[in-house]
Amino acid sequence: MPPANMRGELTSWVITLAWIFAILFGLMLLVGAPFATALQGFVEGAFGGRRFGFLMATLSRATLIVGMALSAMLSFRAGLFNIGGEGQLVAGGLVSALVAIMLPGPPLLVLSAAIAAGMIAGAAWALLAGVLQLYVGVPLLVGSLLLNFPIRYIASYLVAHPFRDVQSGMVQSHLVPNAMWLPNFPGVRLDIGILFILAASIFAIVYSHTTLHGYRARLNGLSPDFARAVGLPVGRLTLQTLAMSGAIAGLVGAIAVFGIHHRYIDGMLVQPLYAWTGIIAVLLVGMIPWLVPSSGFFFAAVQTGAAGMERAAGVPKEIGLIMQAVIILFVASRVSGALLGGSRGQRDGDA
Amino acid sequence: MRASLEHISVDFGPVKAVDDVSFGVAAGEIHAIVGENGAGKSTLMNVLFGLVRPNNGRILIDGDERVWNSPQDAIEAGLGMVHQHFMLQDDMTVLENIVLCSEPANALGFVNFTAARNRIRDGFSQHGISIDLNARVGDLGVGQRQIVEILKVLYRDARLIILDEPTAVLTPQEKDRLFAILHSFATDRRSIIIITHKLDEVMEVADRVSVMRGGRLVSSGSLLKTTKERMARDIVGGELPPPLRRSARAPGRVVLSVRDLRVKGHMPVGPLSLDVGAGEIVGIAGVSGNGQSELIQAITGLRRASGEIRLDGKRVDNMDVAGRRGAGMSYIPEDRQRTGLALGASVSENANAGRDDVGRFSKGPFLDRKAMADFARGLIDRYRIKAAGPRALASTLSGGNKQKLVVGRELSRSTPLVIAENPTWGVDIGAIELIHAELLRMRDAGHAILLVSTELDEILTLSDRIFVIYAGALSDEIPASSADRQKIGMLMTSRRTATKVEA
Repeated sequence: MPPANMRGELTSWVITLAWIFAILFGLMLLVGAPFATALQGFVEGAFGGRRFGFLMATLSRATLIVGMALSAMLSFRAGLFNIGGEGQLVAGGLVSALVAIMLPGPPLLVLSAAIAAGMIAGAAWALLAGVLQLYVGVPLLVGSLLLNFPIRYIASYLVAHPFRDVQSGMVQSHLVPNAMWLPNFPGVRLDIGILFILAASIFAIVYSHTTLHGYRARLNGLSPDFARAVGLPVGRLTLQTLAMSGAIAGLVGAIAVFGIHHRYIDGMLVQPLYAWTGIIAVLLVGMIPWLVPSSGFFFAAVQTGAAGMERAAGVPKEIGLIMQAVIILFVASRVSGALLGGSRGQRDGDA
Repeated sequence: MRASLEHISVDFGPVKAVDDVSFGVAAGEIHAIVGENGAGKSTLMNVLFGLVRPNNGRILIDGDERVWNSPQDAIEAGLGMVHQHFMLQDDMTVLENIVLCSEPANALGFVNFTAARNRIRDGFSQHGISIDLNARVGDLGVGQRQIVEILKVLYRDARLIILDEPTAVLTPQEKDRLFAILHSFATDRRSIIIITHKLDEVMEVADRVSVMRGGRLVSSGSLLKTTKERMARDIVGGELPPPLRRSARAPGRVVLSVRDLRVKGHMPVGPLSLDVGAGEIVGIAGVSGNGQSELIQAITGLRRASGEIRLDGKRVDNMDVAGRRGAGMSYIPEDRQRTGLALGASVSENANAGRDDVGRFSKGPFLDRKAMADFARGLIDRYRIKAAGPRALASTLSGGNKQKLVVGRELSRSTPLVIAENPTWGVDIGAIELIHAELLRMRDAGHAILLVSTELDEILTLSDRIFVIYAGALSDEIPASSADRQKIGMLMTSRRTATKVEA
């Protein structure tokens, strides 16, 4: 890139940041919060804390968001608008928790079985959407979205009635046995679930760039007509990709159970909008695999930072949410614009 | 209207699309602009019409310098443009389409359609145009749609009319009708600029001709002072390759045999039967939209159909696309942008898609990028594809090079049957030359080729036997030796069968 462009790029970033600060400042004036304190609260809330406690919270949240982003990315790159990550996530979390509670045996073995069962459940839920598209004609976009609701209520029902921990007084399952909790890294409050997502990230990047299956799935994503015409097994690619996508979502559900909550609590995977944040995180970086982890981290940091701002400067929660939206919108306008502009390439000489 | 462009330059990034071109058109003149794709013809006309702002140069209308902020300014000044791709609302009537955006409305917003009707009728009688104003545009054929586009321009009383490749979709008869209308416009002192790549049409209709190459104006002058050969040389910038020769050859065994094929769809096809033998090119001519794509999709397996399809004697009609390709079928699709290539993928990724010998470019589940690139490099050399390299995005190739990539990928599979659907649509002369030569080479090597094309010239140049498709039905067979342009043109627009040639 020539220097002139670089300078232009830098200037536009500065302008974007100026806009963000101006709007945040305006919002804080509106609610009468001290700007410097709020800003400090934001940075502290996202990256600071005693022994970096808040940074660990950010990383823990980023783990789940990045996982869901990877799940969405695999589908999106293959041209499959699977927006049912939430349902696949819930299926994975629910099934892994129930397996862990019900299945007797040595903890490590049961834990492995529970995680595997969660991944299978997520994959199955995604496959259901795929089967609906291929054999019943329900568009994936619609089918995958609608399948979010039944699984949500199935999960609510199961933890509200048959598997409820009645003594706790909450709508939640019993705790999974203590021996199955994912351990923390020494000295910090962060469980090793992040390692699973690290592995999943590496898998997704390697898969996307170097495998035959990833190559074919991407061709289908770039042009379904083309994929069909050159005889790629489009139906099989669709189902296999959805299964992969759903399995990763299921894995994220299992990590949330064994690493964070240690049980299935009604709404624990739905309310924080992990799946939807993951989808936005993928779209922000134009589905480029190696950028997905940092994008997920960015979203987690904005969320925990806003929470820190609420605590430090007494900014109301709603204003904090508006601020999140402002930051995300402006960054999206910069990042996506630059990425898409760069990859769009030249148009056909026919035009 | 007199219009001239002086020292126009347009840069698209580092590319000079138009490089210091000066050009003029006089009142009552039909001026043809010819050149290969990417020569800058369309860009130059887009400058004149206000769609593209030049980096340099002036636009003069009747001697006064004008600056267009948008096409709207140009339209108000009396310019009109008929684009290659029609811009009509299918669900509205002809009348509604014509008055759209310049409706004769009163202060309350009511449209006075009677006034509009009368005004259009005047135009009809003066230029010999006939069309049903109440017809829904979606029900019209392409030729008639073009008339609607021209009426739109005429309704705004354009004094300078620009037509971009207006005959690309017309039958010979429709083309004659269009040219008659253009001559009538010229008599009315309107100026016409026609962008085309068909030199026969230039000879037929133009008063003056300008040739562009690589963004520059190579020559411009009266038609009387030039010849077809000279124009062709100016267009390619060098000597022309010798014309192709089709050697006589007796067809061999039947490779593709289609029996009682019926395809449901927008244009239902069949029942029709068709044989293509080894070492022959069977051409199917016809105006686009008469069932060509349905027929091809049925044969390639992209669309469900009933009937029997045999490839080398083997039933393939119950196989999927991959199965049929494996059984010995290659397919050069019409739409290289969507079906022929994945534009967002690299040249190498496109070149290796659909290869049967997967083991040659993969190791276990992993791709062998080097083997893929080597294969792509082979195609680039063999088919003279201008690309920055195997890793360049397919979208960065010009139209002709994209098409060469598609053709190369499919022909390199060397299957007994090749299906080519408008294989040279919108590509430059060099690429047409290469693709035609390759198809003939395949034929001479004993491959069976089914050529479906809306370009009659292409059909006549290449085919050993010709059919015409109209409204989903095939005409009787026409041997290449007795093919006649006018007769085929008639068959393209009516359900009459050809006069049987006695064997």
